Amino acid sequence: MPRETRPQLVVIQDGDPAESGQSPTPGRNPQPAITEGRFPRLGPRGRIALGAAVLTGLATHGWHLFQYPLYLTDEGIYMQRAWSLVRQTRLSPYTYDYDHAPGGWIQLAGWAFPLPNQFETFGNAINTGRFLMLMVHLVSVVLVFEIVRRLSGSVLAASVAAFFYNFSPLAIYYQRQVLLDNLMMFWVLLSLFLLLCRDLRIRHALGAGAVLGVALITKENAVFFIPSLLYLLHRRVRGSTQRRFATSLWPLAVIIAVGTYVLYALLKNELVPTGLDFDLKKPPADHVSLLYTLWWQLHRSQGSLLSPGGLLYGSWIPRDGLFLLAGLLTMTAALYWGFRDRQRNLGFLVIGTLGLAYAFYLVRGSVLLDFYVTPLIPLFAMTTGLVTHRLLARLRPGLRIALPAVAGALLLLLPATGYLLTVNDEGRVAIADQYQPKLNLTRMQEQQIAWIRKNVPSNARIIMDDDLWSELHDVPPFYPSAHSHWNASSDPDVRDKLFARKWQNVDYIIMSNKMRQSIDGNNGDGRENWILTALRNSQKVWETSQGDIKLQIYRVG
Amino acid sequence: MMNLLLYTGLILVSVLLTVQSAHVLYLMLYTWDQPDAEKETRGPEEFLAPRLSFSVLLPARHEEDVIQTTIDRVVRADYPADLLEVFVICSADDTGTIAKAEEKIAELDREGLRNVEVVVFDDTPVNKPHGLNAALPETSHDVVTIFDAEDDIHPAIFDLVNTVMIQDEVEVVQAGVQLMNYQSTWYSALNVLEYFFWFKSRLHYHARWGSIPLGGNTVFFQRELLVALGGWDDHNLTEDADLGLRISAAGKRVRVVYDDRYVTKEETPPTLGHFVRQRTRWSQGFMQTLSKGTWKQMPTRKQRWLAFYVLAFPHGQALLGFYLLFSLGMMFFLRVPVLVALVSWLPVLMLMAHFVTQAVGLYEFTDAHGLEASPKAVLRMAVAWYPYQLVLAYAAVRAMRRQLTGQHNWEKTQHVGAHRTETSEANSHAA
Repeated sequence: MPRETRPQLVVIQDGDPAESGQSPTPGRNPQPAITEGRFPRLGPRGRIALGAAVLTGLATHGWHLFQYPLYLTDEGIYMQRAWSLVRQTRLSPYTYDYDHAPGGWIQLAGWAFPLPNQFETFGNAINTGRFLMLMVHLVSVVLVFEIVRRLSGSVLAASVAAFFYNFSPLAIYYQRQVLLDNLMMFWVLLSLFLLLCRDLRIRHALGAGAVLGVALITKENAVFFIPSLLYLLHRRVRGSTQRRFATSLWPLAVIIAVGTYVLYALLKNELVPTGLDFDLKKPPADHVSLLYTLWWQLHRSQGSLLSPGGLLYGSWIPRDGLFLLAGLLTMTAALYWGFRDRQRNLGFLVIGTLGLAYAFYLVRGSVLLDFYVTPLIPLFAMTTGLVTHRLLARLRPGLRIALPAVAGALLLLLPATGYLLTVNDEGRVAIADQYQPKLNLTRMQEQQIAWIRKNVPSNARIIMDDDLWSELHDVPPFYPSAHSHWNASSDPDVRDKLFARKWQNVDYIIMSNKMRQSIDGNNGDGRENWILTALRNSQKVWETSQGDIKLQIYRVG
Repeated sequence: MMNLLLYTGLILVSVLLTVQSAHVLYLMLYTWDQPDAEKETRGPEEFLAPRLSFSVLLPARHEEDVIQTTIDRVVRADYPADLLEVFVICSADDTGTIAKAEEKIAELDREGLRNVEVVVFDDTPVNKPHGLNAALPETSHDVVTIFDAEDDIHPAIFDLVNTVMIQDEVEVVQAGVQLMNYQSTWYSALNVLEYFFWFKSRLHYHARWGSIPLGGNTVFFQRELLVALGGWDDHNLTEDADLGLRISAAGKRVRVVYDDRYVTKEETPPTLGHFVRQRTRWSQGFMQTLSKGTWKQMPTRKQRWLAFYVLAFPHGQALLGFYLLFSLGMMFFLRVPVLVALVSWLPVLMLMAHFVTQAVGLYEFTDAHGLEASPKAVLRMAVAWYPYQLVLAYAAVRAMRRQLTGQHNWEKTQHVGAHRTETSEANSHAA
């Protein structure tokens, strides 16, 4: 270099493409620039609203938590597996066949283990699990609130989202139950929240990935949320110095949990079926297989969501059709705005596509269970909040608050909605089921257990449903030979060794009308026939009923 | 019982390794993960007028081929000649280099540049720190700095350091050194990236917490400080790291500047043999510095811990490379309990994270220096990656062996006379 030319310092422009056209509009209602993390501070009003949302959540989900709804088979299964982890250091008291990833009940076990009375701390195992669900809901309320507030810059939007997330009867019914979906959604929301922190660094991206990995091994259908989250990450780090590191280490963080799960199967030699035989007509005989189970689940199909007798019309719409409709409309609006202007409407785009991906999963026509609607609830609540804000933005400030306040009050006070009040069978206005002090569904199940303890010897061979499992195995006197009809009809250890598929080997059947339905549903290949024979050769020794719920106990022989 | 002990040990080692490599990963990404660090590590956008004067030390041994160019680069740097003086340091037996240097000085003299001289020493040990100590009394300017004979320095480096020292009121500045030839040998990309992460990220962390092993060149000291500290340790193989820790122990702040525009450019060792010997020397130097115990004199526990951590790393490295093989073997052939196997998978996961980080680093590096990385280069790196770890582990083991058998310095190799290149490399590749 010749001496004379002093090096001209080139001022490197910070490549910041997000800057152009996206600066926050000044004014009372600033549009947050999500890409740059320019979120408005929470502020005193926000803090009050958030506090109110959490307290409301505590009331709606905590009140009557142990009495409503009825203990569900699946709640029993997850608690039974958490129990097995704590007491037997196994993933299930039966053969674990990878029907679900184990993350959910590992978390349940981690919750119950340090408690003073472990699974019995809150009365019984399912109650103990439900208490965790309450805690998870409260944290999720904060997450939903903050996610919506950051995406929209509006406390009102966040409050509307939290309102539905807390009050919708659909939300209360499913979020009180011990469901993997509730835990999974908590991790997904946390991952989303981490991607929305003010100043996104590599560690936040790593955290978001790791947490999503946990969501995936809590329930595999979290996989539908990956594209939207990945897109959000991309948008948040675009043009920044750490973008390459953040985007390439994110998948690795996801793999921490997922890889551990796959490795677990690999180490147990249960990853692939013997001879790589994925023939769906021939389930592997010698050992279970993670990939075979996944393959099988992908090819299951059972009816359609939209058929007249399907879940949508039979269960979800009766619980809260209004919210589902609002969610569907607002999701559509969010998608429309989101795709029309991806730069400005990132919030609409991300939440809208999260909802869309999961809705696609639901209508795809695979096996659907009643509670599969659960993950949709926070997403619909969020789209409703976001869209409400957008629609009200043009109104005068006073009206902007008053309108949703009146709508909320109407929802709470009109009996037809079932939010606080309902019209009961006798045509009278009453407190809605989820808060009704006179309605104690789970007490029926407690009475059933009490009768068993009093009248059935502990060595009796019992067929029942999973919701009673922990009660009979964790509280003395133990009933080691009490098994659910699911296991009695399919698990070789129970079916062939204990019962030898002979109805004469059954002593008692603990029945409910729901269990009766699921026996029929599970009997496509006649696997439950011998249990039905036992039922025919038995006499009813106990019975109770309330509304459309009937519980019985039969003595066989 | 035996099994239980084995499993406990395995879990313990796995957890320790995971924590350790997570920490290393954190240090590698430190600059990118801090909101402002990236800006801070850069040089100033405007220079102050030259005020500080510099004494440049150029230790050289058997550098006949390059010494003239090096001298030329320094004296023609973009800084007033009256504020620069240059000392070429040679041992008396290295007549070739001395002759070449004198020749260059005469040539410059004809141009009117009279600020270069040769310092010759004839006592032992014949090594870089001793040479530096011999030249220190000759210096008279404000700031003393070192360049190696094959360094490709940036003409604005003095302007940069002049500005930083005045603006930030620091007595020591370490500017970036960067290996450039990432495509010449199978290991060069990985070697280049080590420098990249070390200077661009990790050193900033060390500087911030006041416990920093300095590099061997492109490092600038206020002369008084250097004199007060008594110069370099003659008997240390990594006198630079040792000096850095002594400066930290004295409570002096070190400013690190890694600005892609102004780095001093170097090359990776030409052959694997050179590379192993260089790495052995560094590892052994760290071991020496560790047992010397300067790090114990640091004021705070955090500083002591950090110094210990960086010095003890070669010991860990010796274990680390072989652990991967061991852990994979454990998992699939020894049939340990599933839980134990799952825990021993964690370090493997961390190693994957390290590799991904380095692959990204390759793109960052090539972007910063106007080069272009290709998927092929990443693939090459992937293939070379594990062998490279093994080479590092081997060098660490070799250093440990030399340390234990008392082969402490270059003097001995010099007497044996079999390691000419090694000795020369000792002078030219210190970092």
